[in-house]
Amino acid sequence: MNSVEVTNLTKIFKTQVSNNITALDNVSLSIGEGIIFGLLGPNGAGKSTLMNCIIGYLNPDKGKILLKGDDTSELNLKYRLHIGYVPQEIALYQELTAIQNLKIFGSFYDLPAKVLNERISSALHLVKLEDRKSDLVKNFSGGMKRRLNIAVSILHNPEIILCDEPTVGVDPQSRNAIFDMLKELNKQGKTILYTTHYMEEAERLCNKLAIIDNGKIIAEGTLSELIALLEKRETIKIRKAPASEKMIESLKKIGEVTETDFHYEIIPNNSNSKNSELFNELEKLQLPSHLLELSSASLEDVFLMLTGRSLRD
Amino acid sequence: MKNIFQLFKKDLIRFLKDKTAVMLTFLVPAVLIVIFGSIFGGGSGSRGKIPIIVVNESGVDLAAFLETEIDSSNSLRSVKNYTDENGNEIKIDHEKAKELVINGNYPAALVFPFDFFADTSSAIKFVYYYDPRNEIESQLIQGTIQKTIFSKIPSLFPLLMQREAKNFLGEALSDSFNSDIANMMSNYFGANKDSVIESITNFDIVKLTQQSDSNSVNNRQADFISNLIKFDSEQLVGAEKKNPGVTRIVGGWAIMFLLFTLSGTATSIFEEKQDGTLKRIFCMPISRSQFLWSKYIFAILLGIVQLSVLFLFAYYLYDVDIFSNFLNLMVVILASAGAAVAFGMVITAYAKSLAQASGISTLIILIMSALGGSWFPVTLFPEWMQFAAKFTLTYWSVEAFLQVLWRDASFTDIVFPYLVILIGIAILINYLALYLFKKRQVV
Ligand SMILES: Nc1ncnc2c1ncn2[C@@H]1O[C@H](COP(=O)(O)OP(=O)(O)O)[C@@H](O)[C@H]1O
Ligand SMILES: [Mg+2]
Repeated sequence: MNSVEVTNLTKIFKTQVSNNITALDNVSLSIGEGIIFGLLGPNGAGKSTLMNCIIGYLNPDKGKILLKGDDTSELNLKYRLHIGYVPQEIALYQELTAIQNLKIFGSFYDLPAKVLNERISSALHLVKLEDRKSDLVKNFSGGMKRRLNIAVSILHNPEIILCDEPTVGVDPQSRNAIFDMLKELNKQGKTILYTTHYMEEAERLCNKLAIIDNGKIIAEGTLSELIALLEKRETIKIRKAPASEKMIESLKKIGEVTETDFHYEIIPNNSNSKNSELFNELEKLQLPSHLLELSSASLEDVFLMLTGRSLRD
Repeated sequence: MKNIFQLFKKDLIRFLKDKTAVMLTFLVPAVLIVIFGSIFGGGSGSRGKIPIIVVNESGVDLAAFLETEIDSSNSLRSVKNYTDENGNEIKIDHEKAKELVINGNYPAALVFPFDFFADTSSAIKFVYYYDPRNEIESQLIQGTIQKTIFSKIPSLFPLLMQREAKNFLGEALSDSFNSDIANMMSNYFGANKDSVIESITNFDIVKLTQQSDSNSVNNRQADFISNLIKFDSEQLVGAEKKNPGVTRIVGGWAIMFLLFTLSGTATSIFEEKQDGTLKRIFCMPISRSQFLWSKYIFAILLGIVQLSVLFLFAYYLYDVDIFSNFLNLMVVILASAGAAVAFGMVITAYAKSLAQASGISTLIILIMSALGGSWFPVTLFPEWMQFAAKFTLTYWSVEAFLQVLWRDASFTDIVFPYLVILIGIAILINYLALYLFKKRQVV
């Protein structure tokens, strides 16, 4: 059974101005048990809206959501025990301490005090905030707040964890700590839905991915399945420099050359030709090797190919 | 139920952490009650006294007696000395008194002149200088002086009458006039003839100043005449209450701050929405109605605590009697808190943002407080305003407080119209709030 099953979900926001916003347009997704599922899309794509529908905060206009086979549209608060939601905002009481936040939010799950205290300790351990637990949240760094934001969401030991852009505005260390944490939780068997607009994050963390744009899922699969959508897996780039500009005519004989601001990109004439052959040709031209760059295809390229835009726009 | 309790606990912890909120709830209204209570309330010696120069040029006992009466007045402070350029304390004389009033140093001066009450005169004479720069002040002074002196006139009356009789009738005739009176009184009232004569001829200033003795059996006959004229003023309402002005002030300010506190509690829903904690709560096994219930319960309990604290405060500071009608006071507090929460909720449900909600509620609260009698008694208003006042929540709350604190109203006295209107307001606007909450998907 899939952990989350979304079928033909549509959410339209009625705005004061005449045109309504279709934030989700007939979205279908299946998130299998025990995987880390990445939902990648630019800002405004509809990622948070999808999360809000799954957690039951928003009512979709159309479609169905099943959590572990349970229909969430029924007025059933029980299914919320299965999900741990990490909001995009830092949803904490800033004027209280970390431990007070954990206690307050933990109190809504009807756990025996002893169990709750154990959960709080292990959550604090997981997010590495044990020695700061009695500090006020408002004095925390962005990364610490993000980590606590996650800790608060997992106290009830949920089977499905929904993380909405949990690394926005954090330093690399905290990002790594958050990734380690999520991997650890995944190892414990939890299913994770992770939204982001950083393709590097999606590539690094997720077993399975969907790309969302303008409320529509435009591609879905594993990383290699998505990359396979691309015609070329690798691009060979030569940085522009006096040395390389001199040999532009010779380069054109090896393959097709396109120019960007600071690079030439070469696509070998024979698409089957191996990179090593291309390198040999370049060596013969005595191209300084420090001007040579090999970049493999990324989700960014997939997105670019599917939408004609880059992710960061 | 457990969820509601946990949500309530959350609001309580957050409230207690918020020093500004706690201060605005308890301290600021308390300070305002002290300020306005001291201005309007009086009593307990905390009220400022108006200074008045008192110059006594007369050597008569009666003058000395009236002087001490004014000295011990609750609302006047008698000034008798001034400090000259060299720092010496100098007794104010008649001329100096005039000068000080003209120069605006003091609002008024009361002089007992040399001929205040000469041995043979049948009238007493004062000189009163005043500067009517402040109408309320000079009326207050004159009123107090008149009251002090008037209350002694019944006792003075026989003496003045005796002197007037002597002037008109001459010594011999006036003696027979006195014995006629004494005869008549012993015939009709069974009084001892000699003591009547004694009482009307031997005017005794000591007796005058010891009126409390007049109740004892021995003196009853002797004081017969002085009892002929008596000012019996009787306060009909709130006779045992010590502090009329403050009662209104406390009720008025308390309601105003109740409205501020409770609409703040309601609009805090916006903050929770903004910082995402509301969404976090709603992805837990908590229903929206549980959330709203917790808000209501928290707000109403906070309102009850706030009002109780403010009334307790008034009790300690101004002797406002809150305990003799305690249960009914609690009923009015509960009804007022209920109506105030509903008011906050409907604004929260109607507004689109925290800023808008705060703006609207502040405006409406200030208007309702001014119009509804939080600051001034509604009876001072022009008629159309008195009519408009009846459409404010504040009016019915303040009036209900006055009913229970001042008139000692029983429960059946306040049910209609006060409780019916307050609870009616609460229920009606609550329905409106819930309707709007649902329609606009606020929570
Ligand atoms: N409450 C709302 N009212 C109106 N429009 C909204 C609301 N929430 C989101 N939207 C719109 O829906 C679209 C998707 O938003 P969102 O799901 O937040 O995107 P993402 O999380 O991918 O950045 C955006 O165009 C956004 O402006
Ligand atoms: Mg988002």
